[in-house]
Amino acid sequence: MANILSTGVSGLVAFQRALDTTGHNIANAATPGYSRQRTEFVTRQPQSFGSGWLGNGVDVSTVTRFYDELLGTQTRIASSSYSRLDSYAAKAQTLNNLFADTTTGLNASLQRFTNAVQGVANTPTSVPARQVLLSEATALTGRLQTYATRLNEIEGDINSRVASEAVSITTDAQALARLNQQIISSQSATGQAPNDLLDQRDRLLADLATHVSVSTVRQDDGSVNVFIGKGQPLVLGGNAASIVTTRDPFDTQRLNLAFQTPGGTVELGSTISGGSLGGVLDFRREQLDPARNTLGQIAVGITAAVNAQHREGMDLLGNIGGDMFTVGGVGVQGSSANAGSGTVTATRGAIGALTKSDYIMEFTSGGWAMRDAGTGANVPLSGAGTVGSPFTAAGLAIVVGGTPTVGDRFKVLPTAIAVAGMAVTITDPARVAAAAPIRTTATTTNTGSGQVTPGEVLDATNVALRNTTTIQFLTPTTYSVNNAGSYAYTSGTPINLNGWSVVISGAPSAGDSFVVSNNASGAGDNRNALALADVLGQGVLNGGSDSLNGAVGRFVGGIGVATNQAQANRDAQKIILDDNQTELDSVTGVNLDEEAANLIRYQQAYQAAAQIIRVTQTLFDSLLAATSR
Amino acid sequence: MQAAQTRLAKTQDQLATGKRVSTPADDPIASVRILEISRAKAQSAQYGANSAIATNRLSLEEQALNDSTTALQRVRELILQAANTGTLSDSDRQSIAAELKSRGDELRDIGNRQDGNGEFMFSGFSTLTRPFTRNAGGIVTYAGDQGSRVLQVGPSQRIADSDSGFSVFMDIPEGNGTFVTAAPTTNAGTGIIDIGSVVSQASWVPDDYAINFTSDTAYEVRNSSNALVSSGTYAPGTAITFNGVQVSVSGLPASGDRFTVNEAGTKDMFSLIDDIVGRLTTSSTTASQRSNLSSFIGGALQQLDQSLTQTQSARSGVGSRLSRLETIDTARLDYELELSSSLSDLQDLDYAEAITRMNQQLVALQAAQASYARVAQLSLFDYLR
Repeated sequence: MANILSTGVSGLVAFQRALDTTGHNIANAATPGYSRQRTEFVTRQPQSFGSGWLGNGVDVSTVTRFYDELLGTQTRIASSSYSRLDSYAAKAQTLNNLFADTTTGLNASLQRFTNAVQGVANTPTSVPARQVLLSEATALTGRLQTYATRLNEIEGDINSRVASEAVSITTDAQALARLNQQIISSQSATGQAPNDLLDQRDRLLADLATHVSVSTVRQDDGSVNVFIGKGQPLVLGGNAASIVTTRDPFDTQRLNLAFQTPGGTVELGSTISGGSLGGVLDFRREQLDPARNTLGQIAVGITAAVNAQHREGMDLLGNIGGDMFTVGGVGVQGSSANAGSGTVTATRGAIGALTKSDYIMEFTSGGWAMRDAGTGANVPLSGAGTVGSPFTAAGLAIVVGGTPTVGDRFKVLPTAIAVAGMAVTITDPARVAAAAPIRTTATTTNTGSGQVTPGEVLDATNVALRNTTTIQFLTPTTYSVNNAGSYAYTSGTPINLNGWSVVISGAPSAGDSFVVSNNASGAGDNRNALALADVLGQGVLNGGSDSLNGAVGRFVGGIGVATNQAQANRDAQKIILDDNQTELDSVTGVNLDEEAANLIRYQQAYQAAAQIIRVTQTLFDSLLAATSR
Repeated sequence: MQAAQTRLAKTQDQLATGKRVSTPADDPIASVRILEISRAKAQSAQYGANSAIATNRLSLEEQALNDSTTALQRVRELILQAANTGTLSDSDRQSIAAELKSRGDELRDIGNRQDGNGEFMFSGFSTLTRPFTRNAGGIVTYAGDQGSRVLQVGPSQRIADSDSGFSVFMDIPEGNGTFVTAAPTTNAGTGIIDIGSVVSQASWVPDDYAINFTSDTAYEVRNSSNALVSSGTYAPGTAITFNGVQVSVSGLPASGDRFTVNEAGTKDMFSLIDDIVGRLTTSSTTASQRSNLSSFIGGALQQLDQSLTQTQSARSGVGSRLSRLETIDTARLDYELELSSSLSDLQDLDYAEAITRMNQQLVALQAAQASYARVAQLSLFDYLR
């Protein structure tokens, strides 16, 4: 009889626990990260009596948490990937929007500049047309600089993002360490898994995974060790490491991440991957830096091509043209860790050989070595590094000096700061060199059919360029220059002298002469302006294969492709993440219908168990009534 | 449902802007093409502007050349009047000379014409330099150069927007282009030399020759180094042929008279008219003077015709450039039309398609919303009463 009472009470208690759990499930149906729980029943040890074993009721063995470790890990990985792609795509979209505009974009600015040059070519004597050209040149410079500024702003955004990510990661790591401690003590005290703490920890891990890619190792004591990057321990049991931001050794404007250890900081560098942090760092490396360098490359290309042509011309005042643009030089940043007093200076050599990469010059025990800052590939240096024989590589001429210490490093930025230093050097419209400095004249008394081209300038720095030079035919097949020498004449073959080139064709008679002279009064000449309008369409970049127009088109298109790809990848990853999440939710999620059914079931079982106690009471009462007589 | 809403918003944005591609990320390949085509359009528009300027300048030049043709034709009439040496008096010739002089000034003014920008049309590259001025010696000189500005009117087409004054007014072949005949005013007889003709260009040896009359009926031809080239007996009107050229002398040259057959150089219009004016204002009363004037006027007429030919050929050059410009303009407009339609294909929205798509997306969204609302109502708790 005592047995039936204890059996009833055991049921009553067990179903009360089950109802507690169901209530807990229902109450947490909307709690993020909550995993469904179930009260597990086991039958008590039966009692033996003569004719067999008699059941003794039920016990609650444990409360099980429905969670799939594998699915959880999968979802975390998927979420890291998604967060990376999401933040990458968002940043790429910013860049994309910056360059997208077809009416105010770089292409349009470049074309307007070319059109303004054509305007000068149409009316070289018109000061307003020249003024328009200078304004368009300034607008082009301004457009490039606006882009450079916006890129710096994006860099600033990334810096603050990196800083806030570092804080988030550290905070999560500390919370994880505390939870680990609580879990270890709870588990060792009761021997049972503290389900709700585990949920909290899984939720924190999921949150951490959106910031950065992590790997976890579960320990026997219930704690979880968390590693980031290439195995750097972020959380070990109850201890958490700090992630801090450090200044880039080459660029104090740039924030990097480091691991705080008692002995100092350890650079994490590019080992960090995944998560929104990995996304912005990848974006900075894959998109932002190349964009800045390409923009610089375009600025350098415009400057070099336009200046070279402009210097071959003559302005309204009769002077040989100067530079139209100036552009920032090659950036060299010494590492803050350099111990020696070495110096590195660099200038640009062949514009066509310039690349989009940055480079690291390192002083090794074998002398100076250069490598690509992005890929790490070694770049062979030729030359001795002296002023007379500079190191040449990648379109740069590098001169080293001082006494460097082995291990000292310098970052060389071929084009990154070019745009910032870009400016239009001409302020006086009359100084636009639209004319060619020389002109040719067929002497009036010529009797042959010889004709001379207007001539073109090969080298405007030749001091004798504008000297009057008379080409006189001694016979129909030979000519003298300034009454000296005798040179064979072939119709149509260029005659190059004093930095110019003219072509005489036809059949000149003996005694005919042609004069090349200063074009000082040639205000209406537009030959150099025509040539200037052409340079932007000629291949000057990337080994001469790329025109400036083409480079700009490809640059803007490239950003569009990258953005489009990032968005497509993000969308694809979103589907994978959603699938994983749905799968995990199907294991851990609370189904209210199921809980409702359980509620009824356990309620009824509870009522039934209560009924057992009542039966027991009746039995007692009958027994007492029988014995009280 | 969120995804459906995003898609719907995108379609709505397309419908609102009328553009299919709004950023390079929407369709990178199309957007690169759009950039390229937009640039090509801007470039083409600039070529159009260049072409308009070239057309304008060439029309002005054509007008100037027409005017100079008219002036030259009037000069020709005046010379023909003056050719009537037998009936005109010195004073008649002087009044002709006066008009010729003013025609010469008119021609010079045409040569000094400026375009709308104040640039001299006929001074080559030196468009701020007045090309034709009389120097201290009263001779019209050319201060411009031989340059000719070209404008970019197409990707690979450049067209000269002017001709230099040198090529139009100055660089005119003398005589018949091979030689030029003349009779010195010192001749005592009444011999008149005609302008001659080239019989065989291949036999012509360029040099300055003199036909010397050793008697009333005998002549010899000597070159510049005084070597005898040919000699013969003279009868009025017979042709004198040597070295592939043929000239004829009429009238009665006196012994010791000479005529020159010089290698042709160039002679500008202004000095031609000045020469004629100078010659007509010189008294010509004797028979020999009148014969000499006849020789001179024959040569002057030939030279004037050369000037007219030069002007006409410059004019036809301008005309052909104008018609080339027209062809280029037509081709460019076709090209621009094509660019516009490519651009429209690439970036403009197909409204019919977009509206259909929007309706489909709306239906999908509504279906998702409705089904969610229905499913969300289902709960076992509703039946636990």
